[in-house]
Amino acid sequence: MPEDLPAPATAADAREGVAPRRVTQFPVGVDYYPIDAERASYSEWYDTDVAADFAAMAAARISLVRVFVSWKVLEPQVGQYDDAVADRLDAVMEAARAHDMRTIVCFFADDRMAEMNDVTWARKRDPRTDDYLLEREISLVQRVVNHFRTEPAIWAWEIGNEAFFAGFASEDALHAWALAMRDAIREVDTARVIVFGAGAETLVRESGLDVRPTRDVFEYGVSRVTAPYRAYAAEGPLTYGPATYVDSFVLRAGGVAHQVLADGIGVHTLDVSVAEEAAYTRTAMYSALMNRASGVMLRRWRDVETERREPYYQDPFEVLVGVNDVTGRAKPVLAEVSRFARVAAHIDLRRYTPVPERAGILVPAERYEPLPSLAGLYDPRSCLQAYIAAKEAHLPVRLVSEGEDLDGLMALFVPSAAKLTMAMWTSLAAFVQSGGSVVLSYGGGDADPAVRELFGVEFLGDHGVRPVVSCRIAQPGLVGDLTSFDVRLDVPHYALLGSGGATVVATDATGSPLLTAHQYGQGRAIFLAAPLERAIAQSDPWAAPDAIRDLLRTVYGSVARAAGAGPIIDCDEPAAEVALFQGESADIVVVLSHSPVPTTATLTAERVVASVTDVRGGAAADVGSKAFGVPLEPNGAVALRLTYA
Amino acid sequence: MRERSATLAAAESLARQGAIGAAVAACYEALAIDHRDPLVRALLAHLMLEGDFYDEAITEATAAIELDPDCSPAYLALGLAYDRRGGMSDQSVLVWHELAEVEEDLVTAHVQLGEAFAAAAFQDEALDSWKRALELDPKEARATYNLAIASLKREGMALALPLFRKAGELDPSQDELFFVLLGVRDRPAEPVDPAAVEPNREARLAAAALALRDEDLFTAAELVRLTLDEVADDPQALALAAYVYLKQEATNEAMACALRALSIEPTLDTALYSLGVVYARRTGLNRHAARVFIALAKQAGGQALVHVLLAESLLGLQRYQQAGRAYRLAVRLDPACVRARFGLAAAYLTEGRYAEAQWEIRRAAYYDTKRQGLFWRLYDRYTSGGDV
Repeated sequence: MPEDLPAPATAADAREGVAPRRVTQFPVGVDYYPIDAERASYSEWYDTDVAADFAAMAAARISLVRVFVSWKVLEPQVGQYDDAVADRLDAVMEAARAHDMRTIVCFFADDRMAEMNDVTWARKRDPRTDDYLLEREISLVQRVVNHFRTEPAIWAWEIGNEAFFAGFASEDALHAWALAMRDAIREVDTARVIVFGAGAETLVRESGLDVRPTRDVFEYGVSRVTAPYRAYAAEGPLTYGPATYVDSFVLRAGGVAHQVLADGIGVHTLDVSVAEEAAYTRTAMYSALMNRASGVMLRRWRDVETERREPYYQDPFEVLVGVNDVTGRAKPVLAEVSRFARVAAHIDLRRYTPVPERAGILVPAERYEPLPSLAGLYDPRSCLQAYIAAKEAHLPVRLVSEGEDLDGLMALFVPSAAKLTMAMWTSLAAFVQSGGSVVLSYGGGDADPAVRELFGVEFLGDHGVRPVVSCRIAQPGLVGDLTSFDVRLDVPHYALLGSGGATVVATDATGSPLLTAHQYGQGRAIFLAAPLERAIAQSDPWAAPDAIRDLLRTVYGSVARAAGAGPIIDCDEPAAEVALFQGESADIVVVLSHSPVPTTATLTAERVVASVTDVRGGAAADVGSKAFGVPLEPNGAVALRLTYA
Repeated sequence: MRERSATLAAAESLARQGAIGAAVAACYEALAIDHRDPLVRALLAHLMLEGDFYDEAITEATAAIELDPDCSPAYLALGLAYDRRGGMSDQSVLVWHELAEVEEDLVTAHVQLGEAFAAAAFQDEALDSWKRALELDPKEARATYNLAIASLKREGMALALPLFRKAGELDPSQDELFFVLLGVRDRPAEPVDPAAVEPNREARLAAAALALRDEDLFTAAELVRLTLDEVADDPQALALAAYVYLKQEATNEAMACALRALSIEPTLDTALYSLGVVYARRTGLNRHAARVFIALAKQAGGQALVHVLLAESLLGLQRYQQAGRAYRLAVRLDPACVRARFGLAAAYLTEGRYAEAQWEIRRAAYYDTKRQGLFWRLYDRYTSGGDV
């Protein structure tokens, strides 16, 4: 959490419904790019009315701003720094200071317009690997850090952004470069936060580089849904379905040991309507708050003024869309941002803590395998679908990488993995033995021999592709309230299973087991004979058969609840995501609709709720029962303070 | 004829069987032998496209084209990858334009080119492309749907509706619905011989259904006539007769037979189908059509096309939200239903939900191009040196 952001409003203020002007514990920020028009020259870096922009940001309750250093303009000749240009950065800091805002200074960013790292004297040497350029980079970084070492407006240094990191050819080179930059900053400034400006999940998709070890040496990380990642994971309508879960999925992939800023919040293209843009941004911001982000950063302050070049207007760059239009007029999304900032400011995260996640989704190690292994392509999508199923079952859930400690978890979902390591099987067996529950869906190929003992089933072979999924309930009520169905859905594999001690909960139309449950030690192991998560992901996630989604969320929800990993506040509406922040005398519940139509979610608490109040203030509504309804607008969100009888 | 390594041949074989993982592995083996083989790259692009991994497909297809600028299957894969990925309509226009010139008779290239133009807001160019596609194949349903959507955007639903109807009629899946209701899924192995049919009601009606499935209307009509000669009020026979008339554009007779069948058996789904279709074809009878299709939806609610037919009649009644709901249900039941996708796009457009409409059009293209299997046609032509 930012330590030196302005003082928060008091808890008393929050109770009184007075919105603090600044968000301190959950900052809402924005990327402030140096150039907003394609026709502008790189030399126009922050050569605009910065003070007016910062005033507008402050008015919109934005408290954190990322600014970008341009190596090209600051060091036009080797070793010769342009002080006149550097003054512009001073002006930026002054503007931030004037409005009591904080900045993140990003050193090496590629915005595809301002040519910030394109130093002319570097010739064709690679700034990522060339020793001489590395020296010059260190010199630049230390010069800037030294210049601003007492600047209160700077909250953090960021060594580079994702577009820049994507240019590295190897993990070792990236690691070495990142450490060199970090050490260079630390030599001058030992106090401020240093941010690693790329998300591991998205960068591995874009460049094939697994940067988790590098990310882990930084105090702060970011998660950012890049345009390529969205195209890969959830290309489709932005206001419902998988697209509304991707931001929090990528955030959760940032790991639990880190503070992660939900970065790059916003749409990627200008062909989305302003209403959709506002709805999507609202969803992404609330998702971040509900899934343990340390703050949110909006994608861009102002739309890029693109050249009207015939015949093609649209530009594929992902930094085009801001919260203001090209004339600087605020778009509806900025009002959403202000409203969200006001809500977030009323949630005192020192008094209210999110409930611990006792359910996890395992991201298999095979996910990092390059082609020709297809696991790296299939697994993230399967994990996303599993994540959505868990969210629809209202489980507090996190992502767990294979090999990570399973301590604290009570239920684990392994979605459609083709293979796990021997160590993971051992870990799974120990987990179940000691009382945990596992749901594993068959991912194709030969099942590991460990399946027999752990899941109590005899693997007889892969039946291959099936165009129809049939479910016949053999043991009603054993794993939730399941129903029989036949639906059209291509499943790539189907495990033929023989008896090995497990109870057959459901079968296909021919009697072959579809779902089995096995008591193993103190825990339960559930086996799904088909990779349903992958089947949803690889078919049409926006039009997945309801019966399949019902089956998945029922199984996940039932198993997790039985294992003690269920939600404290339950909900009857799958499209409503619920997050609970527990306090001493009251709790705060945040409810977010992932649906584009109005809906009412009925929340059910474990205790009798005495009253419900909007966190922003207003009169308390008496409840007097465990259940109460929450009306939700399309893609709407509410934050309520609950008191108990 | 291009020479292919045994590894590539194995990869091809696996790919044709749909074994994507094994085929990809075989392609990488083939690349290890010759990493400059455009065929392997094109095949990999296709495999990546099959898995919906668009960026990988773009990479491989681009590599194939760099190795051989005449590699038409790679152009196809590249264009499809751009379109399915979204946000790359400018690049897509270039690719489809190129492919439409290289493969002049490739109707899909013109349809896709039109859609790419439309996504980039070049409506006139888009219209030209779809019209060109219809010149090549007047029965190209997707080009007609796109023209209907364009008409809806410019002139409103009243003028677009006839085009939607026309596109629907071009869609062969409507006949499939009738045969699903009838319980006849496959065409007969041999033509039905009326002389060999046993002289009883069940045998005649079963044979008539098979003859209809085989588009042998004369045989079917004869068998139905023999049945009705014995029992004039046989609802099943009357329903078959209605369908025979319907196929011969004799709508009055079809309506009469269907109504008679329904007066005897009010829930007979095949008769409801024929009556609904007749009503839908006649101007001013949308309200009747909607009522009949609602009744049919109660009988066969699991069939996506039933809801599509209902939605189309609701569009005619300007009940766009209800139509949208019916289309959404159809898409839920069958995500690959191109007709439902376009209809849903139209419903969204009437509500001003342009991005969602665009998405439905893209999904329609996705399923339509997946169904066509064009890659293998171009691939085989390319490998044979253009002789196929």
